Amino acid sequence: MNNKAIVKAVSALFFCSIVYIAGCKKQDYKLSTTDDVNITGYLQKNADSFSLFKQILDRTENSAFLDAYGSYTLFAPTNSGVTIWLASVGAANVEAANLNTLKELVKFHLLADTVTTGAFKDGRLPVPTMQGQYIITGVLFKSNVSSYSVNRQALVTKSNVKVGNGIIHEIDHMLVPASLTIAKQLEGNPNYSIFVQAMKETGYYDLLNTVDPDTTKRWMTVIAESNQALADSGYGSYAALKAKYSKTGNPLNVNDSLHMYMAYHILPGIKFLGDIITSASHLTLQPQEVISTQLINQEVIVNEDLFNDILEKGVLLKRDISDNSSTNGVWHNAVAHFMVKYRKPAAVFWDLSAFTEIMKLPAYYKKQGYTFVRQNEQDRPIKDIDWEYKGASNSFLYEYSTTGTLTNFAYNYDIISISLGGPNRSAWMEFTTPVVIKGRYKVWVCYRNRAGSVRVNVVVNGELLQRPINFAEGRPGGTDAELESIGWKRYTENTTGPFTARLAGTVDIKTTERHKLRFEVPNGGGTTNSNHVDMIHFIPVDDNQLLPRFRQDGTKIYL
Amino acid sequence: MKKLFFIIVTIGLLVGFLSCTKWIELKPQDGIVREEFWKTKEQVEAAVTGIYASMLGGTLPDYLFVWGEARADMVTPGFRATQDELDMVNLNMLATNSFTNWRPFYQTINYCNTVIELAPPVLQNDNTFSQAQLDRATGEALTIRALLYFYLVRSFGDVPLKLNATVSDQDIIPLPKSGRDSILNQIVADLKKAEPSLPLSYGNVNFDKGRVTRYTVNALLADVYLWMEKYNETVTECNKIINSGNFGLISGPNFFNEVFYEGNSNESIFELQFDVQKLNPYYFMHTPGNRRWGAANYLTEDVYGIDAVNTIPIVDWRGDKTSYRGTDFTIWKYVGADNNGTTLRSLEQSFAHWIFYRYADVLLMKAEAINQLDQPLEASRIVKTIRQRASALDFTAMDSTSKPGMTTFILEERQREFAFEGKRWYDVLRNAKRNNYAGLQILLNVASVSIPSDRQQAAFNKLRDKNSHYFPIYFYEIQTNKLLEQNPFYK
Repeated sequence: MNNKAIVKAVSALFFCSIVYIAGCKKQDYKLSTTDDVNITGYLQKNADSFSLFKQILDRTENSAFLDAYGSYTLFAPTNSGVTIWLASVGAANVEAANLNTLKELVKFHLLADTVTTGAFKDGRLPVPTMQGQYIITGVLFKSNVSSYSVNRQALVTKSNVKVGNGIIHEIDHMLVPASLTIAKQLEGNPNYSIFVQAMKETGYYDLLNTVDPDTTKRWMTVIAESNQALADSGYGSYAALKAKYSKTGNPLNVNDSLHMYMAYHILPGIKFLGDIITSASHLTLQPQEVISTQLINQEVIVNEDLFNDILEKGVLLKRDISDNSSTNGVWHNAVAHFMVKYRKPAAVFWDLSAFTEIMKLPAYYKKQGYTFVRQNEQDRPIKDIDWEYKGASNSFLYEYSTTGTLTNFAYNYDIISISLGGPNRSAWMEFTTPVVIKGRYKVWVCYRNRAGSVRVNVVVNGELLQRPINFAEGRPGGTDAELESIGWKRYTENTTGPFTARLAGTVDIKTTERHKLRFEVPNGGGTTNSNHVDMIHFIPVDDNQLLPRFRQDGTKIYL
Repeated sequence: MKKLFFIIVTIGLLVGFLSCTKWIELKPQDGIVREEFWKTKEQVEAAVTGIYASMLGGTLPDYLFVWGEARADMVTPGFRATQDELDMVNLNMLATNSFTNWRPFYQTINYCNTVIELAPPVLQNDNTFSQAQLDRATGEALTIRALLYFYLVRSFGDVPLKLNATVSDQDIIPLPKSGRDSILNQIVADLKKAEPSLPLSYGNVNFDKGRVTRYTVNALLADVYLWMEKYNETVTECNKIINSGNFGLISGPNFFNEVFYEGNSNESIFELQFDVQKLNPYYFMHTPGNRRWGAANYLTEDVYGIDAVNTIPIVDWRGDKTSYRGTDFTIWKYVGADNNGTTLRSLEQSFAHWIFYRYADVLLMKAEAINQLDQPLEASRIVKTIRQRASALDFTAMDSTSKPGMTTFILEERQREFAFEGKRWYDVLRNAKRNNYAGLQILLNVASVSIPSDRQQAAFNKLRDKNSHYFPIYFYEIQTNKLLEQNPFYK
């Protein structure tokens, strides 16, 4: 082949390739990744509803920031909502309004997270606004339509609009942050004049009137008693209240009962009713005193407690006039007067095998044994008892028998059997105790000893007690007094069997509520047998530690 | 040389064009097209079977459970429950919740429509295909379509009413919603049309319970009439089943085994028949290790009752160890293998049937209807037969003299009888919406049991708006069908 032929061949191929290339169509590539608008873009697109709020964003120089990448939630007020607000502050238009107020307002309408209506509960949103205060949400039923309400100021007209950099909820009114402190709000309400005067005289007014720049210290919650509530308890005036409580004559004194009364009505932290009911008790500013809270028939009740089988009626927090936001917290309304209760420490004889889950099984409770299996890490078969998950086979047994030697002398003929220690068994087990009144207690662990059981540390509220309990160890011989001196006692009627109680130590219970008690196996410490626990006694240090004793039929004996 | 140039150009172009234009075979090589199908009666039969098969697959059986139970008070979400399920429990429905995707329902509806539209021409092609056989095939399709529309109308309120088949891309047209009343009327008309053409029996117990019979139509019609508050018609339909004498109640000790474990019992009217080849999805919903749903833990005490009086305690056969296992609150009906609460079905044995209707349902529907017709005493007698079979514990008094008292009691009895059978929410809603929502409080009571305490007030106020009782339309449907309008509560 000569050169010419090569040229021809090449040109032929070139010709062909031209034809192919010409035959191909050019692809129309899209250069942007999405057509979604951002928050500012959405407001622009819907100018007939949001032109005024857009103007506010422009004037406060937030438009560009809300058009950039991020994840925000905006409560966007419609034009009519903005107009109403402008009228309320006496401004003719957006330009006429105070710039600093507008800046605060814009921040109050923004959250630095995406929050859909799915997260709206009876109470505050999980994240604060950029302004710093929390927004509360709820659902309002009005003229046959339910809508989400925001801060009790606006209703959501269109929810969960997804835009490029977050979520928009359209609302019909502007949201206005609280401008007064808790103290000022209460002072401005004549229904609380007695309470406010007590607040002033005890020195708490100043505390409740400051907005701490440090947000970790800023928030407080006050449970206020109206004049009516106080009058119902016989305190028609501040003088009457002072006469009753102020025994030292100086309410500023922390040991004065009026001071304590006020401190007992203030909780640290911001707690809306939705937060209050998620926890059974809350610390107050009165050292070591808690209020207990629970939901009864959908109402929030404070301090309704069962002590020594006597039910003490609680006090209702009225929903519709509670949850009042202020610049430094929230305050609620209590319909009746309540005060710290000083209780004498009382013994708690706690039967570990009487927990709700087993008592709900009539075929098993006090009839036959039952195994509680924790299927996986997330599973919690028993609400008040938790243990380290080491596999579903590592279980928790309820044992009952009137004849078997594991239970024949146990209180109610039942015990719990737990396996602890070693590489394959739980290293710890944690119990929630019944309510224990604050005070100093000796803690006795009552068990049935068995060779091969493990030695555990007893930890109450994170505090390690003085003596470890060896579940394999039996009670030595000696008189009751001799035994008590070395930390043993007989808690059953039976005198010879392997059932015994061991003193784990003395503990200071600081608050009157339910506490955590934990068995921990110190590093490894394998065991071959289960551990059989019957009861735990919390007995005030000054009380008789030996009596009562407990019989199999569930009765107590005092000899 | 010229020749070489010519050859290369020709070959080059040929190769080039061949590579671009592929020879198009219009008929699929691995399937059958419509023009070749719909020729014989066997093919019609296959298409009808396909309708039933489509209900077993996909997410439909999952939905039947979740739609009927999640928003009510019988279940609690387990550790594997999805966020969408938790939102549903908390009545926080959004249009993005995947459980509002009605696709599996409309898919089966389309299979029904296809049979209704394309089966009649087969008469011309197959001489052995009789008019009676055709009527039966369309009757089955009409009934299933009515059943699914009944689910949709109870769950969404207004939905698009698609009555013709979508067989090609040209048939895909946007369709607006139809009013719930017109859909209910269509359901009634379809069922009335199907009723005479369906057999009372196929001569085989598996077919009688797994395919729709005339009794299925009667039971479904009774349910539809009850929803429409047409009580005389409900009684008529129930009586057709009761008077046939073909059904009975299984006695207590055999109740779990015959009705739920084996399935196709004498009590059953229509069920979805899962089997070894087609397992149900319930293993991965209810077994303790995979729990998406568990039983609510107040059932033992407050729903079935605990007998503390008798030395040998009276135990309701329908409660612990039948509907659920009281020790760990596993929903037992679908995953249990015995009625002493010890053995679970293994995964390959997980084919408990889904029961749409059974005889007890018919009896209680009749009781509900005649009670509304001011015959509480008659109603109480029917309720008593149900209770006697179950050896129910009398821990709440039945007041057979008062109509409102019996209304409440029948609802409670249905709760005990049909626990976890996907009926609770619809039962509660039906009783709540009766007489222009005179019973709204029932819904609030249910919510007070099932909703977490920090969300209750919001839930109550949502429930007061009756539009919130129906699902939103799934966002994807709104995007693709411009004629659809989102349901009022969710705008």
